[in-house]
Amino acid sequence: MKYSGFSLLKNAFSGHRKWPNIVANSELKSSYDIVIVGAGGHGLATAHYLAKKHGVNNVLVIDSGWIGGGNTGRNTTIVRSDYLLSASFELKNFALQLWKSLSQELNFNLMYSPRGYVDLAHSDGELEHFLLRANAMRLGGADAEILSPEEIAAMIPGINLSDDTRYPVSGALYQADGGVVRHDAVAWGFARSASSAGIDIVQNCPVSGFSIENNKITGVTTAQGKVACGKVLVSTAGASSHLAGMAGFALPIEMINVQAFVSEPVKPVLDTVVNYNAGLSYLSQTDKGELVMGGSTDGYASFAKRGSFARIEDTLARAIQMFPFISNLRLMRHWSGTADIPMDGNAIVGHTPVENLFFNCGWGYAGFKATPAVGWAMAELLTTDLMPELLRPFSLQRFETGALIDDVGIGPYPWLH
Amino acid sequence: MLLIPCPNCGERDEREFSYGGRAIKYPDLNALASIQAWHEVLHLRDNSTEVIRESWYHHSGCECWIEITRNLMTHEFES
Amino acid sequence: MQQRRLEFGGRINRSEPIYFSFNSQHLVGYAGDTLASALLANNINLVSRSIKYHRPRGIISAGLEEPSALVACADAHGVFIPNLKATEVRLKNGLVARSQNCWPSLTFDFGAVLQIGSAILTAGFYYKTFMWPRQWWHRVYEKLIRRIAGQGRITYDADSKRYDKRNINCDTLVIGSGPRGLRAAISAAESGAEVILVEQDQEFGGSALWEKRPIDSTPVDEWLDEKLSRLKQYSNCRSMINTLAFGQYDHGLILAVEQNPGNVEAIYWRIRAKKIVLETGATERPLVFANNDRPGIMLAASVRQYINRYAVKPGTRAFIAITDVDERQITEDALQQAGITVAGSLSEGEKIITTRGWQCLRRVQLVDKQGVEKSLNCDLMCVSNGWTPNAHLSAHLGDKQAFTSSPGESSNLQQHLSGRGKAFVDLQNDVTREDLELAVREGYDQIELAKRYTATGMGTDQGKTSWTNAIVELARISGKDANAIGLTSFRPPYSPVSFGALVGADTGAQMTAVRRTPFHRIFSESGCVFQTSGDWLYSRYFSNDSNETMDQAIRREVLAVRNGVGCVDMSTLAKVDVKGRDALEFLSRVYCNNLDSLKPGRLRYVLMLREDGILYDDGTVTRLDDSHFLVTMTTANAARSWQWINKMSQLQWPDLDVQLTSVTDHWASLAIAGPESRKLLAELRPDFDIDKDSLPFASVRQGMLDKEIPCRVFTVSFSGELSYEINVPAGFASRLFSRVLESGSPYGITPYGLETLDVLRIEKGHISVGTEIDGRTTPADLELGKMVSGKKGFIGSSLLQRPALKLHDRPQLVGLKPADGKTPIPPAALLTAAPWQAGKIQSSIGKLTAAVESPTLGHSIALALLNNGHQRMNEKLWAVSPLNNQSVEVIVGPNCCYDIEGSRLHG
Repeated sequence: MKYSGFSLLKNAFSGHRKWPNIVANSELKSSYDIVIVGAGGHGLATAHYLAKKHGVNNVLVIDSGWIGGGNTGRNTTIVRSDYLLSASFELKNFALQLWKSLSQELNFNLMYSPRGYVDLAHSDGELEHFLLRANAMRLGGADAEILSPEEIAAMIPGINLSDDTRYPVSGALYQADGGVVRHDAVAWGFARSASSAGIDIVQNCPVSGFSIENNKITGVTTAQGKVACGKVLVSTAGASSHLAGMAGFALPIEMINVQAFVSEPVKPVLDTVVNYNAGLSYLSQTDKGELVMGGSTDGYASFAKRGSFARIEDTLARAIQMFPFISNLRLMRHWSGTADIPMDGNAIVGHTPVENLFFNCGWGYAGFKATPAVGWAMAELLTTDLMPELLRPFSLQRFETGALIDDVGIGPYPWLH
Repeated sequence: MLLIPCPNCGERDEREFSYGGRAIKYPDLNALASIQAWHEVLHLRDNSTEVIRESWYHHSGCECWIEITRNLMTHEFES
Repeated sequence: MQQRRLEFGGRINRSEPIYFSFNSQHLVGYAGDTLASALLANNINLVSRSIKYHRPRGIISAGLEEPSALVACADAHGVFIPNLKATEVRLKNGLVARSQNCWPSLTFDFGAVLQIGSAILTAGFYYKTFMWPRQWWHRVYEKLIRRIAGQGRITYDADSKRYDKRNINCDTLVIGSGPRGLRAAISAAESGAEVILVEQDQEFGGSALWEKRPIDSTPVDEWLDEKLSRLKQYSNCRSMINTLAFGQYDHGLILAVEQNPGNVEAIYWRIRAKKIVLETGATERPLVFANNDRPGIMLAASVRQYINRYAVKPGTRAFIAITDVDERQITEDALQQAGITVAGSLSEGEKIITTRGWQCLRRVQLVDKQGVEKSLNCDLMCVSNGWTPNAHLSAHLGDKQAFTSSPGESSNLQQHLSGRGKAFVDLQNDVTREDLELAVREGYDQIELAKRYTATGMGTDQGKTSWTNAIVELARISGKDANAIGLTSFRPPYSPVSFGALVGADTGAQMTAVRRTPFHRIFSESGCVFQTSGDWLYSRYFSNDSNETMDQAIRREVLAVRNGVGCVDMSTLAKVDVKGRDALEFLSRVYCNNLDSLKPGRLRYVLMLREDGILYDDGTVTRLDDSHFLVTMTTANAARSWQWINKMSQLQWPDLDVQLTSVTDHWASLAIAGPESRKLLAELRPDFDIDKDSLPFASVRQGMLDKEIPCRVFTVSFSGELSYEINVPAGFASRLFSRVLESGSPYGITPYGLETLDVLRIEKGHISVGTEIDGRTTPADLELGKMVSGKKGFIGSSLLQRPALKLHDRPQLVGLKPADGKTPIPPAALLTAAPWQAGKIQSSIGKLTAAVESPTLGHSIALALLNNGHQRMNEKLWAVSPLNNQSVEVIVGPNCCYDIEGSRLHG
């Protein structure tokens, strides 16, 4: 049933009893062309584009939990493309273009809100780096501006631009079409579209192994039995290394905890997404009114999905430095996700040592914004066997060849990324 | 906030430490070890195990690097 | 007059009236009241409007589980703090409270028109509409929704309240001071353990404060007094009221916030306990039936609490709908004692159809087993659907919880009639039973999905009264077992805690420590303009003339160094003293250079790589004698590099005999640079020879200046000029600087800062961390491949051989100058084959790492990382800056564009 204001009105007369299930109940079939492990944004986006763009729908999306229950439902919903390295920029900027019309394409309101992304610089040197990034973005066809402190003050009420703070603000990079997207809706919208195209989505069904013959994948063992398949895509973020282990190889990835937290909901006070760079702290306001904040990773390996409060204290201190008024608010909820961070901090997408087994992992804390572009390109790879240009730099081999994509230049220390 | 067992200082709060990642042993430098050997040691992580050996630097304590074993699921330290 | 206050009883202090206001109405309560009990005493139950439908809402509970009675209260500085639960606000003189989410007033609220559209405003309706026209979501609909959503209103006023932070350890921490908590604390204290008892309420006692049943055959008040006085006897037990333990973390850490401790607003406690006893009690569940949200419908135990603890009659005529027989009885007893008429009690088989009333409860309509409907007048309804344990703190560490029996089955008052009004499951977020039915129908049937789709339990009450009911409803609707629906993840904090308290004083200018060099004081007396650079406050430039701009100052400083002599603070460079039999071997492994040939008294420029072969840091190694070295590392990497070399020595090669000592803070380091610097050094009367042959470039001498200042002088140069880096013990910094200024005046001595340092190094093509050393470049990329020893293994030597690090089209360091010799090269430009054209996507072949106007050369110069740059000498390219709409043609050249032979180094 098509979603619209009119259908909402029509359904109101029947007490909303006729809305269908967004994910049709599926029985596991014995065989699929493609099995996608992981029903998060990336896996479901891949399923959607497989069906809608390539007409492939003999596909299973399987997850040990519920749709969008991993990092898709845990991130701070920011979308932007302010990257210097072209591999990172191209992918995220393509995603940003897709976000702009995805609600209409999926007929599901993802609430893409181009409210602007403001990245604060704390010295003239830092501002020069931002200028370089902004120039690279402009050259690549994206939107970017540099704001002076006066322009920042005019745009963002309540921000502290005084000189007597520890790290005064000297300017900012501004991406006007950066903003936020309602994260849960992304999983739901893609799931609904894929399901309506005939793709099976099975939740609460963990994968426990792969069938591999002559180094070629032939099937997947699940909690509901074995499934034969032609190709497998693993798109499981924090569980990626575990699944790689099942397939007999190790990944250059470490799992680090990342946290986020929200204040109580209040009436609108902040209309943009703001990032404070002297020790990371980023902040935006949800449509429900909560101020949602995040910062650096916890900085050490963990699978526990629970964080260190020291990080929250630190992120908050910086947020209050940036916006002194939020000190009057209260912490309502904090949570964690497991970020899969590779040795150069950038994603690993594409072929693996096992034939017909593909991985899409290593997105760390930066995967949400790339969701539609990765799904789009991954669907192309799975159907054509040709590596799309967008994904080519993100190969697993790059750690052996040295063709690294280190956006921040930190090196093989995932806990510092 | 972890309570890290420092062999010199006893159990101390994690804010006194910085993390050094997995306890890895370098291939012999002078043997000019192969790219492959370094790649495996430096990059590849067997994350199927929940218990790892890792290094921490006690910057606000004894200034020593320590190696300890921790369960990544429960965060419990093992000896 | 407090018309609903009982004449006797309760724990309030009638001799201490407290004056306060609510919505500008001046009222009085008593010490010991909460805002909620004082409002009820004044016969006020309509407190707020609900978030979505703006329905009138009252006080449901008497504690932090309160979903409805949210108010804003002014703090001591007159700033209104929103979203406070009236049931949690301690009454104090002068308290100013007001309703939120209503306009123009609480009783006449325009927002209530939203009720008309409520048939459309189902759970998640916004996912189904507002998609066209495409830009309207952000421009129109979202703006509207944001304005409607959000509970209270916050102003941009800064927080002027003061907070404190404390750490404490104990053997046993008891959380909750109800009868069980008190017993636990006393028995732990008896055993001699260090005990902490925390209680979030303003009094110890928990349910003993209002439940009148005897405990241990003793009247409850007596029992409580006895326990509290016993507790006081134990010096090993610290008891804290107004202290909310809000989360459990790793290794016995409980975090808590203590409100109103005295001289500060709140104290944030980090409590490490060997043993934690959770006596956090349980939360009563409301019943779900049509119009179950009218002011006057309250949790049964809360009604008892208002009567027995606060001596308040929450109504005059009550209807009882309580699952548990015992609880029904004690509630009836309490009502009768307070003189509240019991209008009726819901009996088995009866169901509530709906309730009536305008802005408060007036009537309840029931239907019995036979289907006969009846209607009862009442202004109070005591409801209970059973209790849910407050196990949140144990769940914070990931303990799995499950229902041992279905919570739905224990209720024989299952309400299940529809069509007579909204039956709310979550009062704070206005989530109804129909919303949950819709969620299940649409596939959001697991608790986490339903929670996210409908927002159940996501409000400031964290769903304390709603989550179990939501699971029961979801299980019933979908025909599944409650455990199959799943339990919601309990996320800290247990109840909201103040951001201000969590951060305390660690923000603003005190957020992190500021480091100042030994020259700071004397520099600030010499016209130095400082700049924050990481932890450091560093000299940026010097100017005593307020008419001089920064650019003019830089130009003056640069020319002084090139033509006379300047001095600059180098103290922030990390300095490490390296000693031991294997010191040379150690440094040979850490640095890629060949150090074997380094003789005592000489120094070398060195590069440090990461294990993966990428350049990480540069610096110098000075050989003081055979087994004694001094190493410098960059300011930016100082802390990390120090840890890094220690890690190598302690973990990788513990067999090497080497001792590392950080001596950064021991030395004040002032470099004097420029053609006149040797003459200046001579004026300082060193007790060693400094002529070209005695003290050549790249060497060190130790001795005395003026016969009384101990020093080490290094001949090392970042500027490209003849230069001496004079290190003196930190305490001599001011004396050294004064002497340099005084002796240097004939030579035009000019102190300079970071900006000039940068211009000088760019003219020379010297690399810097953060620009050219960007964590992606190799030594060869930066034309430093010759420094990499091929004769030994060192950190990074193997992975540096990876094929992609040897490709010819890697970004390589080059110098640039304007093709016309005069147009300024725009800073932060990209290199392209053609000028920039607006609207056209172009790929770049390089990027600038630095660009300056060179006062020395009289034109603009730049450094850049250019693909295959080393093979592109003399090529013409475009430096483009789309932001400034600039394209400047540039010529590629070597990175060094001043004194390429380096003859000036030797003076």
